[in-house]
Amino acid sequence: MEVLKEKVEEEEAAEREAEAEQAARKAAAEKEESILDRDDLIDLEQKLSEIEVHIPEVPSSIDTSALPESYKTNTAQEKQLLKVADNFAHQYSHLCPDREPLFLHPLNECDVPKFVSTTIRPTLMPYPELYNWDTCADFVSDFLTMVPLPSPIQLVRPEYLFSPTSVLKYQKGNCFDFSNLLCSMLIGSGYDAYCVSGYASQDICLMDLTREVCPLLRKPEEAASQKEKVVPKRYTIKPPKDLRSKFELAQKAKKEAEIAAQEEKKRKEEENKLLELDKPPPDPMHGLRIHAWVLVLCGKREVPESFFIDPFTAHSYGTTDEHFLGIESIWNHKNYWINMQDCWNGCKDLIFDLGDPVRWEFMLFGTDKPYLTMADQEEEEEAADEDDIEILDKEEDKNFDMPLSWVEQIYISAKDFESRCPQGRKVIQYKQCKLEKWAPYLNGNGLVTRLTIYENADCRKVVEVKEWYENREDFLEMRRVDKTTHLTTEYFKPGHFLALREHTYKTMAPETDRSMEFYYDTRVDGLEKRTETPNSMTEYYKDRADYLVYRHVDYGIRLKKFSLNSPDTNPRPMLKITERFDRNLSKLADDDVAERIFVVSDERIQLRYHCRDDYITTSKREFLKRNDVDNKGNKIIMTPDMCVTYEVEPREHTKKLLFQYEMMMNLKNEEKISKHQVWESELEVLEILKTREEEEDTHNLTVSIYDTTRNEKSKGQREALERQAQEEHMRQVEAELDYLAPFLVQLPPGEKLTRWQALRLKDECLNDFKQRLIDKANLIQTRFEKETQELQKKQQWYQENQVTMTLEDEESYLTYCSQAMFRIRILEQRLNRHKELAPQKYLALEEKLYKDPRLIEYLKVFV
Amino acid sequence: MIRLYDTIEPNVIDEELLKLAVEEQGPQEEAGQVAKQEGINFKDVRSLQLDFQNILRIDNLWQFENLRKLQLDNNIIERIDGLDSLVNLVWLDLSFNNIETIEGLDNLINLEDLSLFSNRISKMDAMDTLVKLQVFSIGNNMIDNLLNVIYLRRFPELRSLNLAGNPVCENEDYKLFVTAYLGDLVYLDFRLIDAHTREAGFAKYQYSIYELKHRENQMQNKLEEEKANIAELEKHKAAYVEYLNGSYLFDNLYSDDTEAAKLAYLPGVPELLETYKTKFVSICQNIFDYGLIQQEKRTAEVDLFYECLGEALSDNRDLGLKTINEFEKKHVKMLHDIRNANELQVVDAKMSECAEEISHLFDILMTYEMQLVEQLEESINNFERNIIDMVGTFVENVQGLMAQCRDLENHHHEKLLEISINTLEKIVKSEFDEDLPDDVRALFSDKDTVVNAVGASHDIHLLKIDNREDELITNVSNWCSGIVDKVHTDEHNRNRKRVKEINQYIDHLQNELDNLDFGDLLD
Repeated sequence: MEVLKEKVEEEEAAEREAEAEQAARKAAAEKEESILDRDDLIDLEQKLSEIEVHIPEVPSSIDTSALPESYKTNTAQEKQLLKVADNFAHQYSHLCPDREPLFLHPLNECDVPKFVSTTIRPTLMPYPELYNWDTCADFVSDFLTMVPLPSPIQLVRPEYLFSPTSVLKYQKGNCFDFSNLLCSMLIGSGYDAYCVSGYASQDICLMDLTREVCPLLRKPEEAASQKEKVVPKRYTIKPPKDLRSKFELAQKAKKEAEIAAQEEKKRKEEENKLLELDKPPPDPMHGLRIHAWVLVLCGKREVPESFFIDPFTAHSYGTTDEHFLGIESIWNHKNYWINMQDCWNGCKDLIFDLGDPVRWEFMLFGTDKPYLTMADQEEEEEAADEDDIEILDKEEDKNFDMPLSWVEQIYISAKDFESRCPQGRKVIQYKQCKLEKWAPYLNGNGLVTRLTIYENADCRKVVEVKEWYENREDFLEMRRVDKTTHLTTEYFKPGHFLALREHTYKTMAPETDRSMEFYYDTRVDGLEKRTETPNSMTEYYKDRADYLVYRHVDYGIRLKKFSLNSPDTNPRPMLKITERFDRNLSKLADDDVAERIFVVSDERIQLRYHCRDDYITTSKREFLKRNDVDNKGNKIIMTPDMCVTYEVEPREHTKKLLFQYEMMMNLKNEEKISKHQVWESELEVLEILKTREEEEDTHNLTVSIYDTTRNEKSKGQREALERQAQEEHMRQVEAELDYLAPFLVQLPPGEKLTRWQALRLKDECLNDFKQRLIDKANLIQTRFEKETQELQKKQQWYQENQVTMTLEDEESYLTYCSQAMFRIRILEQRLNRHKELAPQKYLALEEKLYKDPRLIEYLKVFV
Repeated sequence: MIRLYDTIEPNVIDEELLKLAVEEQGPQEEAGQVAKQEGINFKDVRSLQLDFQNILRIDNLWQFENLRKLQLDNNIIERIDGLDSLVNLVWLDLSFNNIETIEGLDNLINLEDLSLFSNRISKMDAMDTLVKLQVFSIGNNMIDNLLNVIYLRRFPELRSLNLAGNPVCENEDYKLFVTAYLGDLVYLDFRLIDAHTREAGFAKYQYSIYELKHRENQMQNKLEEEKANIAELEKHKAAYVEYLNGSYLFDNLYSDDTEAAKLAYLPGVPELLETYKTKFVSICQNIFDYGLIQQEKRTAEVDLFYECLGEALSDNRDLGLKTINEFEKKHVKMLHDIRNANELQVVDAKMSECAEEISHLFDILMTYEMQLVEQLEESINNFERNIIDMVGTFVENVQGLMAQCRDLENHHHEKLLEISINTLEKIVKSEFDEDLPDDVRALFSDKDTVVNAVGASHDIHLLKIDNREDELITNVSNWCSGIVDKVHTDEHNRNRKRVKEINQYIDHLQNELDNLDFGDLLD
């Protein structure tokens, strides 16, 4: 604080300057305002009304009854801390009277003042996803709903700052709540993070993203392609001489350059215009809007450079970003620092060396931040040591550590973590697009994200809709609908049984424009892509044993058939099949077919071979399939003119008719096979379309076997297990019924047993048990007697009425007799057994009583 | 083997027989008709069957160069010969004949399946070159020595062996022995060898097999070592400095020099020799190292040249391919137009246009080729100059080093002479009291003899050094002129070939166009 005093004069001078500047600026603003026309005024009013709509949550709306004691009271240490803080604030306001009061000890949800540093509760989350700063920030921004500050430009008294646990519970908060929670999480995972209280631009303060490009649309920056400099080798041939006029060329180049420059200029102008449009309207409260955000300093967790995180949007900014206009103070769970640097140029010139007491005034002395390292430190080391000691002596009474946080440990349930947003749904408006997010399994069709892109900023006309899915049984990952071309593209993850990767279509009807891409390595035929138009089909293959890479089919117009007209029975006629092959290195180039065209309509087959390494022409062959009859009526099998050949290097055996004949026969066969394959492809397309439609209708979601809450089967199993365990537990409790309880109750509670009492207790217990055993025996006997009496009565009655009895009555009598006899016998057995066991039970109880922990010390002597 | 048909005259393989067989076994039906029209060339025949022909001698099969499969079973062949030209043979069946020894198979290196079933063979050998052999049937023969099976270990691909019906099979250990010694065998006597037999066999002959394998490995290692040595020497030879590392040349100087050996008995000469040797060897080593470095430089230069040449050629080829591709697209369209045009005038106009296009294409392609030839010529000349320069400097430097050798020799000679004369003087004065062998002492009868002897030794040495130098220089010059010649002829051939190709292609296009003309007129 001494440093503070020393600093005062300079500071005041600076402050005065700043004041003057501010006054000038204000005047300018006023001037501007007076120039503002009606529209702007209305706009302003609208904006203001928007801002003022939100009334801050009154703490009474939060249920404080269930909160622990630490929330409602302050410990002695905390009270002392508050005193220190008050003192600190006092000095500060005295020294810097024109600066805003500090955000030091706002009230918590129980209306108890708490120091801000103790509200930070560093907690490491149990979810590995929340270990890094970006995911943490994403979670906080998704999980909480933003509530604007009661006043955008000044802190309203009394200030409130709720504990992170309450914020998490009610899932809403202002920028301080956001920063507080995020800071707690970041410090917990080891970052050197601080809450920052300061000033930011309107967009940031109001979480207005409409001028931001959606992160999903940002294109990854293309790595600048490095052009390899071709070093001319010693024997590289010289280019042929250029015989054109050099002067003309130069003139031409000049002209072209001029035109290009003009175009460039035009383009730039247009760009500038667009940029102008994008710029936000001037904010009358620019630089005054209060905001809180998070600062992460470099050093820990391999953070190479300090940066800000805006907790509302989870975006990170450099510390020199123009959105952040000033810093009042920063704090973490250990200390509180005031910024003593001038913020006339936003945060651009700030230096985040918290050990420098000139730039950052600390509140508690025991900071573990290293002091500023000075060049002449070594010389002054001794002096500094003495100083240190002095300071230590002086501040000994004031120097105490920050008390531990009063907040309970932050806890996020797995369910909350999964659903993320309040009610599992969140909508963000970006520049020219809208982003909607849902928790997984919230939508029946697995939809988790939808991005709607509009034509321009007024968001009326939809250009494109992108939808992301999760946990779909058909492995659908993303669907993109282009509203201008009406093309739908579906992207699939690997694993679908049809190996589909991408499917682009307008309608699901067969024989229309569509393109399907496949995971070719999982398909037996190596198909990579198949595109269709109404009269053609093209297929691309990869890694096939027969080196086929391409097949193109041209279809003709379907012949009309009146009987049946389904595509199965009346296929489109194939006009031409073109197949291309890769080079098969085990064959000679002259024997390796590169392209094969079956012109079905013309009965021609064209072959083009691969090109030899040092040649520029390729061998070709064309067969005409003519089944003519010569003038004698014999069938012509093969004539030389049926095969037109060009060979790069004429060879002996290929001239032979036999060779050509065999080749033609082979090709005829191949043609059949190719046709069949094309037909199969058509069938496959139909099948895929059918399957897709079915899947789209049912859209089942898959559940991981590790997901215990959703997996019905495992849930049932677990519940059964739990029930079993509970029953087991009940039984055990029953078994351990306390036999001494009824007697202990009679004794006065809370007093120690005397020996006499213990003895009596034992006797009473034993007596009671004896009585019980006797009672039980008596009970069995009475029942036995009753039963025998009844039987005798019945027998008497039977003997009396035996003569007049019907057969049925006799029957019933006999059954009764046998049953009664059975009962009597059982009772007799039970009685005997009881007699046998009773003494044993009695002895057992006695022994148990001797060993009972409550009585043992009194009874031991007598044993 | 007892034959019923012994009385019938043995048959001779003549043209008639072969023609008949080829026709019978050739293509059938429609293809057969086509084949008949044309006649079948023996060269094209892939498989031939000559069974039950009572053939005594294999003969007249030299025309069947491309034969893959030959069946000569059930004849009365007594010797295997006349198969030397059938290099492509994969399958040879000589079963049911009267063959007594295996022979004449040395050229059939592609043979995979050989059947000698039911013959009179008593020993398996003379098949060393058949490394691809997979199936070998030699059942019903007279093989009686079990150890002969070990001979088959040299066929790494052998999977099926039939030995049934030989005397050797009566041996009770026969199966175990064969499975143990031929570990890769899968079928024996057309039966799958089960794991049990294999184990039993292995257990029984474990040690002898280990020994055998050990010996085989040693042989293999020795061979490889030799190969490595030879490769190293080849490398040195390519640098023209073979045997210059170490004392080889020095030893060579003294190998034929009887006088020097005698003179070595003189006092002080061994020491002199020793220093001479170290100096000489170090210079040789210098030459050797320098040679290797130069060789590397030369190869790098040649590689660089070929790389650039390859680039130029491939660029040119791409250009040509592109041009032709573009042309063909246009051409096909044009031909289509001509086919579909119905007015004669239009057809004529289009035809002439097409012909013009073709000649234009010819011009373009030829221009490219001429350009390339000019560019390459310059490049090649450049290369020639550089490589000759390089060889020149190499030769100069080597000559310098060799001169050092000669100086050393001269120096040594002088010293030796001095010692000799001193010794002579001593002997003459009878002051020399050391023992010398008689023939050495004989040298010192008078001054002339001594000087002659020393001089002869010196002359021999100088001659040898000169010879080595000459050898090196001629070799390197030969290489130089060889490579330059090769580059020139290659370029010449390439140019001829390309021009021929272009002409051929243009002719083909022209022909096509003309034929189209004919067809239309006929229609």
